[in-house]
Amino acid sequence: MVISPVHYIALPLMAAFLIPLFGKLNKDLARIIPGLVLLYLSYISVVLMNQIISSNTIIVEIIAGWRPPWGINLVFSPFTGFLASMFSMLGFVIWMYTYNFKPEVDNAQKQKFYVLFMMLITGATGIVLTGDIFNLFVFLEITAISAYSLTAFYRERDGAEAAFKYLLIGSFSSTLILLAILLLYTQVGTLNMAEIALKMPAVDPYMKGVILILFFVGFGIEAEMFPLNGWSPDVYTQAPGPIGAIFAGMVVKAGIYGLIRVVFTLFDVKEILPLLVIIGMITMAVAEVIALRQGKLKRMLAYSSIGQMGLVVVAFGIGTHESVFAAIFLMFNHAIIKGMLFLSGTYLVYNSTEKTLDDVDGIGKYLPFTSFLFALGSLAIVGMPPFAGFWSKLYLLMAAADVRLMAVIAIILVVSVIEIVYYFRVIHRIYFRERTSTIELKIPSFNAKSAMLILAIIIVAVGVYPDLISGLIERATTDLLDKQSYIQSVLSVGLK
Amino acid sequence: MNEFLTISFYGTAIVLMLIGLYAALAKKNLLKIVIGLSIIDSGLHLLFVAIGFISNGTAPIFSPEVLESAQQMVDPVPQALVLTAIVIGFATTAVALALVIRLYKHHNTAAIDEIKNLKW
Repeated sequence: MVISPVHYIALPLMAAFLIPLFGKLNKDLARIIPGLVLLYLSYISVVLMNQIISSNTIIVEIIAGWRPPWGINLVFSPFTGFLASMFSMLGFVIWMYTYNFKPEVDNAQKQKFYVLFMMLITGATGIVLTGDIFNLFVFLEITAISAYSLTAFYRERDGAEAAFKYLLIGSFSSTLILLAILLLYTQVGTLNMAEIALKMPAVDPYMKGVILILFFVGFGIEAEMFPLNGWSPDVYTQAPGPIGAIFAGMVVKAGIYGLIRVVFTLFDVKEILPLLVIIGMITMAVAEVIALRQGKLKRMLAYSSIGQMGLVVVAFGIGTHESVFAAIFLMFNHAIIKGMLFLSGTYLVYNSTEKTLDDVDGIGKYLPFTSFLFALGSLAIVGMPPFAGFWSKLYLLMAAADVRLMAVIAIILVVSVIEIVYYFRVIHRIYFRERTSTIELKIPSFNAKSAMLILAIIIVAVGVYPDLISGLIERATTDLLDKQSYIQSVLSVGLK
Repeated sequence: MNEFLTISFYGTAIVLMLIGLYAALAKKNLLKIVIGLSIIDSGLHLLFVAIGFISNGTAPIFSPEVLESAQQMVDPVPQALVLTAIVIGFATTAVALALVIRLYKHHNTAAIDEIKNLKW
């Protein structure tokens, strides 16, 4: 079989439809198939990334024989490929974790979980790979609809309430994005992102502003920007634990990708960049202060996640090569570190109904492995050396210093101190308090332990030796900022 | 006459969207909120079709009779988009209604004011 970027979308989508059928044959098959699909996607990620890095080209895949700008095309460039690879590999790790998670849940429920899980992977990967703006909207909706359903997965929790809130604000966001696409189509007469970028300078500036604001608000909701992020703490709290990791690692990252693609590639409006910095800083400051007041573990992680997204948007908003590099590095780090925090944190409060911070008091003695990994993740996310989080924050501060944005540096440092306070408070509770709660603890299964261990090894390895990943990120940065070569390689594909 | 038609299409679409927005924001009943979301969608879909509308236009199929008058063809792209958008709107509404049923069984009410286990 020829390896092609289409597999990223076709295989998980096909698996999602086949899981109920295979589930009838053998009840374990339904759980194994997603793992096989994600393993294969991780394998083709390595092959394709190798191919584009060594040959210094990007892969533009024509769908159904209609070359761009008429047909839909997929673009596997260092930036989109990096994100797609990250989604597939993180997806595989989370699959390992979920394989024996909650054995008491019955089989039909598990099948539904994996169907939605596969749909979510399809949507998130599709968003980053597609080269067509309406196709991006379709994938965004696939992601959103499966995310709503996964939020409401547990009947005994308040999942339906969180999901309904998410659905209300999510459909508002999709209406705005659809309206923006419609207005854009009336102005440029095409839906291909490369051709839109090519024709953008001729568009009336007033119209450009309106469209950009619609896109900005629409993707801002998906990317948890202040003040449109009311949905996310509830969703993270009510969704199953591993789904929290998927939200932090994929759904929100896909939202950020949409925002960045629109601002950096589609539009030539540089005036929007300071707005990104300001929105990002407000998001970060507000979220971290609220996180300090949270009494529930997952809510705290959710607000910390919003804060980190603010940091990513600030880094993109500064707009220099170094800061975009820092931003992509931050996205990667946040995906693995927050992923691990959600995976290990879930076991710390496994049987508790309220999931408050009191439940983790003195748990270090009883669940040494999980507690240790949670502590490691906490140190990594606040940016302690020698973990992965340190480098991305350092690069961001250096990039901000290069352009003399002292206010930004000051706020990032103050916010980091707040982060340290609330994460260290949890570590203190885990290791230095006596256990008072009587809730039965759950020892992680072997799969869950190995999934967490893999993420921990990546965090430490990237922290000790950042060159493992910085070469790829450097290429991704160059690719994202080089709009002309994107336009040229997409529009010249298939020309004789 | 054509001016009037075009303006009435755009006007109807925008009025529909505003009605839907009002229902989604002001109504307290979960079902009415879902209906509101659905009306916003319909307005947007009408706007899509209106963009491609040409008075007395022909179907966008090349044939010997219409070869000279390609300018009179209706733009097919918005129509293709609106079909997709309708399907997506249908899926969202279905999920929303399933959630409403779940919420009603859980809380025994469909009033959004009384469902507040989670704070914003």
